[in-house]
Amino acid sequence: MSILYDEGQQAIATEVQRVLDASYASERLKTLLETRGRYDETFWALAREQGWTGIAFPEEHGGLGMGLVELGLVAEACGSVAAGAPFLNSSFGVGHALLNYGDAALTGEWLPKLASGEAIGAVAFAEGADILPTEPTVRIVNGRLHGTKPAVTGGASADVAVVLAAGEHGPVLALVALAQDGVDRDVLETFDNSRGAADLRFDGAEATAFENMGDALAAALDVLRRQAVVTAHEQVGGARRMMEAARDYALTRRAFGQPIGAFQSIKHRISENYVLVELARANAIHAAASADDAVEFPRAAAAARLMATDAYDTVSRDATQSHGGIGVTWEADLHLHQRRARSLAIEHGNMMFWEDALVEELEGAA
Amino acid sequence: MSDLDAYRLKAREWLTSQASIFGREQRRGLSHDEDLAFARRWQIAKQEAGYTGITWPASHGGQGLSALEKVVYEQEEIPYGFPNDYFAVSLGMPVPIMLRYLPDGDPWKLERARKALRGEEIWCQLFSEPAAGSDLAGLRTTAVKDGDDWVVNGQKLWTTWAQHADYGVIVVRTDPNVPKHKGLTYFWLDMKSPGITVRPVKLAAGDEHVNEVFFDDVRIADTQRLGPVGGGFGVAMETLIIERYSATDPSGFGPPVALLVDQSKALTIKGRPAIEDGRVRERLARTYAMQNGLASIYKRTILSLQAGLEPGPEGAVHKLVSVRARQKLSEYAIDLQGVQGIRHSEQDDPKQTWQASWMTAPTGRIAGGADEMLLNTIAERILGLPQDHRPDKGVPFNQIPR
Repeated sequence: MSILYDEGQQAIATEVQRVLDASYASERLKTLLETRGRYDETFWALAREQGWTGIAFPEEHGGLGMGLVELGLVAEACGSVAAGAPFLNSSFGVGHALLNYGDAALTGEWLPKLASGEAIGAVAFAEGADILPTEPTVRIVNGRLHGTKPAVTGGASADVAVVLAAGEHGPVLALVALAQDGVDRDVLETFDNSRGAADLRFDGAEATAFENMGDALAAALDVLRRQAVVTAHEQVGGARRMMEAARDYALTRRAFGQPIGAFQSIKHRISENYVLVELARANAIHAAASADDAVEFPRAAAAARLMATDAYDTVSRDATQSHGGIGVTWEADLHLHQRRARSLAIEHGNMMFWEDALVEELEGAA
Repeated sequence: MSDLDAYRLKAREWLTSQASIFGREQRRGLSHDEDLAFARRWQIAKQEAGYTGITWPASHGGQGLSALEKVVYEQEEIPYGFPNDYFAVSLGMPVPIMLRYLPDGDPWKLERARKALRGEEIWCQLFSEPAAGSDLAGLRTTAVKDGDDWVVNGQKLWTTWAQHADYGVIVVRTDPNVPKHKGLTYFWLDMKSPGITVRPVKLAAGDEHVNEVFFDDVRIADTQRLGPVGGGFGVAMETLIIERYSATDPSGFGPPVALLVDQSKALTIKGRPAIEDGRVRERLARTYAMQNGLASIYKRTILSLQAGLEPGPEGAVHKLVSVRARQKLSEYAIDLQGVQGIRHSEQDDPKQTWQASWMTAPTGRIAGGADEMLLNTIAERILGLPQDHRPDKGVPFNQIPR
């Protein structure tokens, strides 16, 4: 896959951005911050209607048969509007796990629903700071799950989750439907409530361990890498939007007799932000385009994630600073991105995790 | 396989065959004069193999190919350390601009092109001055018309390889009564002209590749003028963008990150391999990600050119990011070596040791566009932010407060 977008891909990017900008309403997003366990239904309805939910799933399972490049473009646009639901990525993670490691029956049952958006998926691997626990505290015994997965992204609304659990002979991935006795969710109070982070507590819930896999940790890492590329695009979109916001403000706000964008302290900071956005974007595109390259993809995905986290954090921080007092108000909306920069940073693998993942690849190659 | 891939493979094959003759190891220990003679032999070999003047038209002795082939070839050349140093400026800017402005078919210019391509003659570019670097249009060297000649007085600075140059191109002030950009004129000149004094400037790292050049009543014929009187700034800008696309190195022409990975395995921190240390891992990972971004931007530029599209403006980040990062990473890598980090020889290659890389990185952040100017360019050209306050704007040069 080329890192130069073709016309079809460019058209997707333009159209998704247009549709999302048209339906954007920051009031809706800010309302969500003050409630728990809710997501932006307008956004999700749009995502379903437009087919974004199934963009990277095969056509025989109800998807559009495209790949990470296209899903990445959708995610980038979603990131630019700090979209009010995390499911494009969380459902994609579950779908990818099913397709590659699940059995035909499970895949047939769930993938079409994930592709249409009728069902929402969640990926539950991490336990606290342990992103991929080698000895998970959540256990699966005789097809029943026990234990708690903390702060699962999308866990508040998900219908189904793929869980990393301790099996009889080591870790396994298991699929669990969440609307059943034996599953409790504690929806958490967070700084970005539309991410729907919830503790999933399992007390004998029925679950199916994936059989079509060797090393469950390797499979889980593969899922995280795919999700990392989607997250990276989302981060790039958010970072780009914040850089543009700072630029636009610097052109209109005047102080000391000139636009503040004429002061090098401001303009150089925005140029540095541009640099970060472009480095992150190039990494993200490269990772998406190398999805089928077994050697390149692991390092590309980790690098994309690291650069994008750095870009979104830094640009959000700087853009707020460039706005001065107005930037720190509830009304100015910058905090939507500031919050999102941090929530995306720690979902599906934090910085330390991806640094280690990348260096392990580099060590092997050197 | 695309034509370009075939071109790359052929170039790689030839370069590999030359490594044991003209590569980095063969240069080690040569005196400056020996190295220049060595470089001239390399340039002849390169010319005979068809790898000089890649984008020049065949009528000028070039290969008549596109920027793509040039970039691909340069990229393949980077790892070997061939002695291109003396000819890079010469063939990159002054000779092509001279060829562009002198009349078609002029036998004198074609002879200059031939000799420059073979490294037999070297051209320099006399732009910067003690008081005009980033602000090039503020230059003060003057030329006054006297009959059919111009008489030049003043001083240039940072002129690369002027000490070996046979010819040069120069921008001078011909009219101080108009705003600074409008009073400049561009010429070529013979560096052996009476009244020219060249003094090498020893740089902090110990090398002497730049010079100060003094002009004391140097006469230049009006026929040596390139472009109109008063049009020199435009010709200077045109000169600088001739090399619009050139090979880039994500490591900023310093050592590759793979070298630090290897060293981190061998070095220890508190008795454990340094690569197991979280601080080291963080640095390696972040550096790799940054360089990977640069490599991807570069690759996209090439693909755009191949597809006949205008590449995005993001290529502008390359020099700013790569050299600055190289400087910091070199500091870090020296630190990692503990007390051994102080070892350094002036002969060392900046692509091979962190010490040589670190010693020469400050030059890289200033020459050919200081970081601050690159940030201005991004802000103004790409993001549409305003220019800085410029008190000299529109003011005749001789009325600008000094």
